[in-house]
Amino acid sequence: MSTTVTTTRHDHRIAWLTALGITIHIAESVLPSPLPGVKPGLANVVTVVALLEYGWATAAWVALLRVLIGSLLIGTFLSPTFILSLAGAVASLTVLRLASWLPGRGFGPVGYCLVAAMAHMAAQFLTAYTVFIPHDGLFHLLPVLMTAAVLFGLVSGAVSHLALQHLRQRGALTP
Amino acid sequence: MNARGSLRRLRSGALLVGGLIILLSLTLCACGRGKDPIHQTEILVFGTLVDITVWGVDDDTAQRGIADVIKALNELHHRWHAWQPGPLTEINARLAKGESIALAPDQIEVIQGAQRLSRESGYLFNPAIGNLIALWGFHADDRPDDVPPPPAGAIERLVAAQPTMDDLRLEGDRLSSVNPAVQLDFGAYVKCYGVDRAIAILRKHGIDNAIVNAGGDLRAIGRKGDRPWRIGIRDPRGTGILASIEVQGDESVFTSGDYERFFIWKGKRYHHIIDPRSGYSPDGAMSATVIYTGPEAGVGGGASTALMVAGPREWLKVVRGMHLVQAMVIGADRTVYLTPTLAKRLHFEGEPTPRVIIGQP
Amino acid sequence: MSTRIALTRADWLAVILALALLPALYLRYWGDAGPATAVRISASGQPDITVPLSSNRRFTIHGPLGDSVIEIRDGRVRFVSSPCRGKECIHSGWLAHAGELAACLPNGVMVSVLGRDRRYDSINF
Repeated sequence: MSTTVTTTRHDHRIAWLTALGITIHIAESVLPSPLPGVKPGLANVVTVVALLEYGWATAAWVALLRVLIGSLLIGTFLSPTFILSLAGAVASLTVLRLASWLPGRGFGPVGYCLVAAMAHMAAQFLTAYTVFIPHDGLFHLLPVLMTAAVLFGLVSGAVSHLALQHLRQRGALTP
Repeated sequence: MNARGSLRRLRSGALLVGGLIILLSLTLCACGRGKDPIHQTEILVFGTLVDITVWGVDDDTAQRGIADVIKALNELHHRWHAWQPGPLTEINARLAKGESIALAPDQIEVIQGAQRLSRESGYLFNPAIGNLIALWGFHADDRPDDVPPPPAGAIERLVAAQPTMDDLRLEGDRLSSVNPAVQLDFGAYVKCYGVDRAIAILRKHGIDNAIVNAGGDLRAIGRKGDRPWRIGIRDPRGTGILASIEVQGDESVFTSGDYERFFIWKGKRYHHIIDPRSGYSPDGAMSATVIYTGPEAGVGGGASTALMVAGPREWLKVVRGMHLVQAMVIGADRTVYLTPTLAKRLHFEGEPTPRVIIGQP
Repeated sequence: MSTRIALTRADWLAVILALALLPALYLRYWGDAGPATAVRISASGQPDITVPLSSNRRFTIHGPLGDSVIEIRDGRVRFVSSPCRGKECIHSGWLAHAGELAACLPNGVMVSVLGRDRRYDSINF
């Protein structure tokens, strides 16, 4: 007797978004960084698009799958880089959840990407400081790291915004 | 444009302006770390160079506090001087004759504190061996190099008399000794006592962030503004800095060394810290440092002296007996012996990095 | 197709706060860099080593993964070799200015360049 697993269009969306996220994750891993393993979080674009279209639960799946599979593909599973990515992802997801509770119109893609990127960076820094290098000298890097986070947050916010507009117009996201 | 639209635009504009004001004020706040209210004085008092650093108060308050400290240290210097005629020499004269003498409350406090410390140190810190110190020529401001060490016989005789703080009897306020060989010389113990008094005086003046450094032994309270105090520990054989440590809150750093008062005879160094058991100055350690938190009534002076006497072979016994948590002994071969807590805090400076042995108390 | 990117009020607030935070961070953590004078090598579980930037020598630091070799030459410092996979510490290249730092996270070794603000508040001896 055979069992069939039927996938819904929703599953397809998630898979597609996750694949996109993984691609960005891998591309990001070749970027140099003042503090090895700490990345600006461009892949947040995918997380925020998922958040705004499908809600937080889906965004969480997409983000965590991205970190897991991405690290397996690059070969950094359970390495310090993986731990940092995970910390960043968890922090940005938490902040996005909190931010989504804001009353009124709340945040747009730019705002979400910005706060997610900053939370992502802050969590990575704190993890690096607590777990790997508990040395005060590390704080010298914090201003540069947070500047990168703000910059990439704004850029990914713009990209998310445009992507959402484009995709909505094309009807690609309607379930 | 309808009224609602323009009202919304007005609100957005107000939000923007409000946000920019927040931005500006935050930046200005971070900028306001300009002036540093620090005040530093060096005075020759207490038989040594005393360095007082005060942070966070106006000049007047700092000056008044420091003036009171100078007065107090001058009094202490005279009160506990081991050989210049004064209250301590008077006490010693009476004890040597087997007579009793009435003490003031502060004198009782010092003597009882020293008694306790001496016991805890296993009698390696022994302020009752003033006669041995005098025999070696250290009851003078200068101990020249061309005077030989005392004859072995004289040393043995004084060691055999075994004067200790336990020989003292206190009835009411009258002090006497069952051993006429007891001659009190408190050394670094009084230095520590003086530093503690100085800090108390500064605190009474409302000064909560300061360092009092008496000839290298110091106690630091509070912080230097938004950062801890940075203390350098000098290399025992050079003028460079061996290691540094950051202190804050209320921490004392006390060091005894073989370079403070010494003479060299026939290539061998003899210094003013005498091992009561042998009558000679120990040569196992170049210096010993103890760091502790809060006022501990002379612990600094007594503990660092005891550690010097103990040297690398017995230092852990002293650490245990005196319940020290942060201690360091620098051996004659430059090996640095550290307790685990201190090993984590100390930053070695310069090169080459010394050999470090971490002792488990 | 319109390509205007519209920001909500909340978005603007986030942007403004983020931009206000940055200068504060720089002022706080970049405060006292002066001319570079010393190198500090920190390894987890070992006391720090601080040496003048003028020394020409190599250090071998033992970490959980193996030995990281650090070289100081001509007023600059760098990681020469390290047992990590990514070798990002080595890719940081030569450090020459106060405040710069390179780190090998997997091996727990960090190299930082110190500025002139190394005066001691008090000396113990």
